[in-house]
Amino acid sequence: MNKAFLVARHEYVETVRTKAFWLGILAFPVIISLAIGIPMLLDKTKDVRKYAVIDQSGFLWQEIETRIYLEDVRNVILASRDKRKKGGEAFDRLPEVVRRLTLAWMALGEDSQDAFVSRLGGQRSGSATRAGQEALWDPETDAAEFLASGNGDQLFAWWRDTPIDDMSDLDIDLARRQFLVVEVPEERRSAEELNRMVADEQLFAYFVIGQDPVAGSEGSKYVSNNLTDRKLVNWLRGLASGVVREHRIASESIDASVARWIQEPLRFEARKVGDEGTEEEVEAEDTARQWAPTAFTYLLWISIFTGAQMLLTSTIEEKSARIMEVLVSSVSHFELMAGKVAGVAAAGLTVVGSWAVFIFLAVIAVPILVGAPSLGFIGQIIADPGFLLAFMVYFVLGYLLYASLLVGVGSVCTSIKDAQGLMMPIMIPMMIPIFAMVPVSQDPNGLFARVMSFIPPFTPFVMMNRAAGPPELWEYVATTLLLIGAIYLTMVGAARVFRIGILMTGKPPKLMEIIRWLRIDPAVNPSTMEEDS
Amino acid sequence: MENAIELENVVKSFGAKVAVDGLSLKVPCGCIYGFLGPNGAGKTTTLRMVLGIFYPDAGRISVLGQSDPASVKERIGYLPEERGLYEKMRVVDLMAYFGQLKGMSSGSARKRALDLLEQYGLGEWADKKCQALSKGMAQKAQILATLIHEPELIILDEPFSGLDPINRDLMRDMILQLKREGGSVIFSTHIMEQAEQICDRVLLINDGRKVLDGELSDVRSRAGKEIRLDYDGDGDFLHGLPGVARVNDSGKQAELFMEEDADPQAVLAALVAAGVRVRRFDLRELSLHEIFIRAVGGAKAAAGDTAGVGEMQGEGKDHE
Repeated sequence: MNKAFLVARHEYVETVRTKAFWLGILAFPVIISLAIGIPMLLDKTKDVRKYAVIDQSGFLWQEIETRIYLEDVRNVILASRDKRKKGGEAFDRLPEVVRRLTLAWMALGEDSQDAFVSRLGGQRSGSATRAGQEALWDPETDAAEFLASGNGDQLFAWWRDTPIDDMSDLDIDLARRQFLVVEVPEERRSAEELNRMVADEQLFAYFVIGQDPVAGSEGSKYVSNNLTDRKLVNWLRGLASGVVREHRIASESIDASVARWIQEPLRFEARKVGDEGTEEEVEAEDTARQWAPTAFTYLLWISIFTGAQMLLTSTIEEKSARIMEVLVSSVSHFELMAGKVAGVAAAGLTVVGSWAVFIFLAVIAVPILVGAPSLGFIGQIIADPGFLLAFMVYFVLGYLLYASLLVGVGSVCTSIKDAQGLMMPIMIPMMIPIFAMVPVSQDPNGLFARVMSFIPPFTPFVMMNRAAGPPELWEYVATTLLLIGAIYLTMVGAARVFRIGILMTGKPPKLMEIIRWLRIDPAVNPSTMEEDS
Repeated sequence: MENAIELENVVKSFGAKVAVDGLSLKVPCGCIYGFLGPNGAGKTTTLRMVLGIFYPDAGRISVLGQSDPASVKERIGYLPEERGLYEKMRVVDLMAYFGQLKGMSSGSARKRALDLLEQYGLGEWADKKCQALSKGMAQKAQILATLIHEPELIILDEPFSGLDPINRDLMRDMILQLKREGGSVIFSTHIMEQAEQICDRVLLINDGRKVLDGELSDVRSRAGKEIRLDYDGDGDFLHGLPGVARVNDSGKQAELFMEEDADPQAVLAALVAAGVRVRRFDLRELSLHEIFIRAVGGAKAAAGDTAGVGEMQGEGKDHE
C-alpha cells in the first residue's frame, strides 16, 4: 500500500497549497476572537446613561442611593465569592476590604447574610434601612467585627472612589457602569436648565421626585428624549418604590419583619443531580456545558463538510484535467481512492488540530505565560479533553462516511456543475442534524435524540450534540459500531462506483445507472485488493 | 520471455455492448506494434486491459511474462489519449511524482526528471508551474513523464493525435529510440499512414474483432498487388486476363487486382498481345487503408459515423 501513501502525501501537499486550507485554519481563531471580542468591545464602549435627580422630598434620593450602594455590594460579594470558590489568584487580586467582606459574609448563615448587607447600608447612611437593623445579630461573628472595626466606611470609600475602569478588571459590574448620576449645582437646578441639558444630550434623562412621594406620585416625573430605552427609568423606579414601600409600612405601624415576610417572594433554587446522584449547586459552567455541544456540533458539521468538499473538488479536477488514466495505469483504483481519502483526511485533521492548538494556547497557555485573565468558563469547557476527543473521533468517522460518498460522486462527474445535481441526495441528510440541533440539545436523552443517534449519517452530529446528556456508554459503543459498519459499506460502494466512474467522460450517469454499478461484484476485478506483492 | 504481450480469446463487454470480442494476439519483445482501426473498434479497451485498468470478462492476458497485468505496472509506461497535468504543480515535481508512483525513489525520480527536461529543452521550465507551459511544451512534458521510469514496455494510445509537428517528430524519434534500446512499443492509431511509417507489426481491428495481424511486410504482400492501367481501346478484354482477380474499369482507366502469386509480367504480355494501347502500367502494393477497407468489406466504412472511418472512406472509395 506504499502507493496509496504516495497518493495521500500528494493529496495532502496539494491541499495544503490551496487557499481554502489556510482560510480554514485562520477562520476559526478569527471567528472565536470576534465572537468573544465584539461583545467585550461593545460592553466597553457602551454608553453610560447619565441622569440627574431633583429631590423635592429631601429624603428619598439619599435612601435610593443607599439602595444602589447595597445592590452593588451584593453583586461584589457574589462575584468575589465565585472567585474564592474557584481558587487561584483571582480572589487574591481583589482589594483587602472586599476580601474581608466576602469572607465575613460567607461565614454567616443564609438568614443573616441579608441582614449583614443591610447593616452596611445603615452604617453608611446613619439612617434607617430598618429591616437590617432589626434582624437577629450575633456579635461573635466576623461580620460583627467587620462592622465594628469601621470597615463599612472603608468599603464605602472604596466603592465611591474607585474608578469604574479599575473595577472592570475584577469582573465586578457596578450599577454606575450603566447609570451614572450627575450632580447638578444648585444654581442650575431649574427645569429650563435641565431640559436644555437633555436636549444637548449632556444628560440622558432627569428625575424629579415630588414633595411627598410616600403619599403619592404627584409631582414626580421622568424627562428624557429617548423613550424606547426604558432600562434607566425601570431600574430607578424599582429602587424608589422599595424605599417608598418601607416608609408606608412604617407609617402604618406594621412590624418591619412582618412586612418583609409578606413581601418575600418564593424562590426556586436551581439544582442539578451530580454523578453520584446527589444534588449539586448549579453554576455558570453548567449552563455553558449545555451550550457547548451545540457549538461543537456546528463546528463538526463545518469541518466534515469542508473536508468532503475538498475531496470532491480534487477528484473532479483530476478527471477534468485528464490525469486519472495515467494515475490508474500506475496505481490500482482502490489505492488511488484510499490515498485520496486519507490525504484529505490528514489535511482536515491538520486544520482541526490547529484549532485545538489555538484553543489550548488561548485558554491554558496564555493566562499562565502572560498572567492575563483566561477566556473564562467558556474556554474551560472548550478545552475539556472529553469534548475534544469526541470531536476528533467523530470528525474522522463522519468524514470517512461523507468522504466516501462524495468521492463516489466526484468520480462520475466531469465538472463541479455536474456534481451539484448528484449532491442533492447527500446534502439533504446532511442538513437534518443541523435542523435537529435545538430539539436534540434541549432533550439530549429523549426518544428523538436516541433514534437519530442510530441513523449512521446523523450519528456523529447527534452524538456530539448529546454530549451534555451525556448518552450512556452502550449507546456510544452501539452507534459507533453501526457507523463503522455504514462506513465500510459506503466505502465498498464508493470503490465500485469510483472504479467505473473515473474513466468516464461527458454527461454524468443517471442515479439508476450508478445503482446498477453498485451491484457489480468486484470479484470481476480479482486482483484489485492485492497489488504490489 | 519471448512476447511482451499475449492475449488469448479476450472478451470485454460494457453492458450490452461487446467492446472486445475474442481477441488473440502476440506482441514480440523489441518491436513497434501498431493497433489500427477506426474509433470505437476496441483499441483503447484492449490497451486498458493490457494495463490492468480494465479486467477482461473472459480470456487470458499475459504482460511481460506475468498473468496479472497489475503486477507489472511499474515496468510499463502509458500515455493515454486523454492526457493532462496537474496545473498547480511544478513541472519537475509532477514528473517526480509520476516516477514515484512507478516505484522510483524520490531522489532518483527527481534527478531523472531534471535530466529528461534538460535533454529535451525544458530545463529552464523545471521549476515553473505546469499551467505556465505552452500547449506544445505541456505535450512534451506528458511524453517525458511516460518515460521517466525507463519502462520496458511503452503503451501509447493515439500518441500523435493533437500533437504539433515538432512534437510529432519528437514522438516518432522517441518511439524509434525506445526500440533501439531494446524496449517494446505498442501504440494505437486510426491514421494508417503513421503506422506504415514506423511499425514492425500491426493489428487491424474492427468492431472488437481482429481483422488481421502480422509483420507489416507480410500483411502487405499477403494482400496482393494492384495494377493501375491507362489505356485506349476496348475494355472487354480486361476480363479474363491471367492472374487478375477483379477489375474496376472506368473506360480509359482501370484497376486490376491481382491474385496472390500472380505474375504482373504475364498480364502486361497479354495486354500487348491483345493489341491494347497501354499508356501507363503501374504496379503497386496496397496501402494499409486499402487492405483494411477490403478486409472489412466496407460495411463499417459505409456506416461512416466517426472521423476515423470518414478518413478511410475518403481514400477507400476508388477501390470498391
